[in-house]
Amino acid sequence: MNSKKKNNIVFLFLVIILPIIALFHLFSGEIAIPFSDFYSAFTDFDSENTNQIIVKEFRFPRLMMGIIAGGGLSVTGLLMQTLFNNPLAGPDVLGISSGSSLFVAFTLMSGIPFFNSDFGTIISALIGAFAFGLLILAFSMVVKSHISLLLIGIMLGSFTGAFVSIVQTISNPEDLKMFIMWAMGSLQHVESSQLPIIIAFFIIGIISCFFVVKSLNALVLGENQAFMLGVQVKYIRIILIAITAVLTGLITAFCGPIAFVGLAVPNLVKLLFKTQSHRILLIGCLLIGSIFLLVCDIFVQLLESSIHIPINALTSIIGAPFVILIVLKRLA
Amino acid sequence: MIDLKQIEIGHKSPLLTIDNIQLLKGKMYALIGANGSGKTTFLQSIIGINKPLKGEVIISGEPILKLNRIQKAKTISFVGSKFDGVDYLKTKDFIALGRTPYTNAIGRLSVADLKVVNETIELLQLQVLQDKFTTELSDGERQLSAIARAITQQTDIIILDEPTAFLDYANRKKVMELMKKISIELNKCVIVSSHDLELCLESEIDLLVVSKKRKELTFHRANSLTKSELIEIGF
Repeated sequence: MNSKKKNNIVFLFLVIILPIIALFHLFSGEIAIPFSDFYSAFTDFDSENTNQIIVKEFRFPRLMMGIIAGGGLSVTGLLMQTLFNNPLAGPDVLGISSGSSLFVAFTLMSGIPFFNSDFGTIISALIGAFAFGLLILAFSMVVKSHISLLLIGIMLGSFTGAFVSIVQTISNPEDLKMFIMWAMGSLQHVESSQLPIIIAFFIIGIISCFFVVKSLNALVLGENQAFMLGVQVKYIRIILIAITAVLTGLITAFCGPIAFVGLAVPNLVKLLFKTQSHRILLIGCLLIGSIFLLVCDIFVQLLESSIHIPINALTSIIGAPFVILIVLKRLA
Repeated sequence: MIDLKQIEIGHKSPLLTIDNIQLLKGKMYALIGANGSGKTTFLQSIIGINKPLKGEVIISGEPILKLNRIQKAKTISFVGSKFDGVDYLKTKDFIALGRTPYTNAIGRLSVADLKVVNETIELLQLQVLQDKFTTELSDGERQLSAIARAITQQTDIIILDEPTAFLDYANRKKVMELMKKISIELNKCVIVSSHDLELCLESEIDLLVVSKKRKELTFHRANSLTKSELIEIGF
């Protein structure tokens, strides 16, 4: 009972702090915008007013992307950690994100018009993530060691990285600049017109997670025991990879690679809530993941006038030492 | 409970045959045999993940392979030789996972589920452990909570695959006595595979012995074999 009460207090705190940080995120940025313009940008939009355009076309999509990418990546990290019974798993270390990047790069280069549309980009990112997800799943059936599987994931990342470099060298300078900007990761690539489709995919992905909570709870005991408890392990594995592909593909397509969120946040959430109840862990990942990425992005925006730090660099600067801490703690 | 008639078990080539054995509720059986004699494959056939080469494993009149996954999870529970514990998983929550086949779509425990969990904790006297994390328990304590998890699953059959392999003598004895008590008091059919011949003989339970030479599984009533006779048949 006591731990339940404590968890509720933490949830309450997070639910209060998220809107405050979101508001702070909206107001941060190089141009100071009065509150009245924020208000009218949503209620009574004036397409002549620069401030209102900034709010509607830049600040708001960036805020939504921060929430979606932070929450979504954290959730995929949690799913992969439970599926592979490995606290250091995540869509980026397992090579799922790189699969997504590779497919986006290839299909953009292919010149097929469909893939230049938003929907086409999402689909190719999603297929790439799903294909690499299945590949790592196949490896996991053969490789029993946790460390080996992570190494294979990292190798998949290097392998696709090499292909992406080749694509870079043969593409024209304009595309190259675009690609490098994308590879740095940013929450600012999204336009307001793209938001509905992104939000739709995100909600589908997140709701699906709550349908497999029961299986996830049993899977922490390992696949064999989960099977004996009546979990359709084969089927659930594919579902988890599919959800991860949708969320990772979606976020990678629009924000570029954002490292360490999927790896670090679920571990932080488990540390905080001290439970293996995936209902709690999923909500915790959504809240803390969003808050974490928004805070990172606030720093990016605050420093923008003097130095442009890619968000991918910032999440790595914070995430990598945290992951090392987790490893050290497990050895102790 | 479990009917095994004219069965041949193995992977492609037969490992062992069973002429006619019936395993009953309220009884505990020790499965004994050399490494590679087919003990694990035999257990897999009972669980329904290995299809016998000939014949069928019949459980309460139904072939095991005909049961769906939920029916199966409500009929057979399984305890492995070692549970390493899971980070941040409390012992009570671990034990409650035995209710998985009974809970609703999101796995929420009902009042009835919680009652089963609490009764099991009392039965095995695990009250002091229930709020500890599974990673904080000793090997013996973890094995007891794994047994508790199997009991909350409320299955007629409990299978334990070398549950005492990683335990010290006192705990090995404790596990065997506990399982014997459970088989009688809760009226369950318990099958324990073991390499510990003395322990199985001491426990005065029926024996299922795999003879590697004759590729045959035979039934022997408790106290009907001496250790040397047992070695003669099985090894």
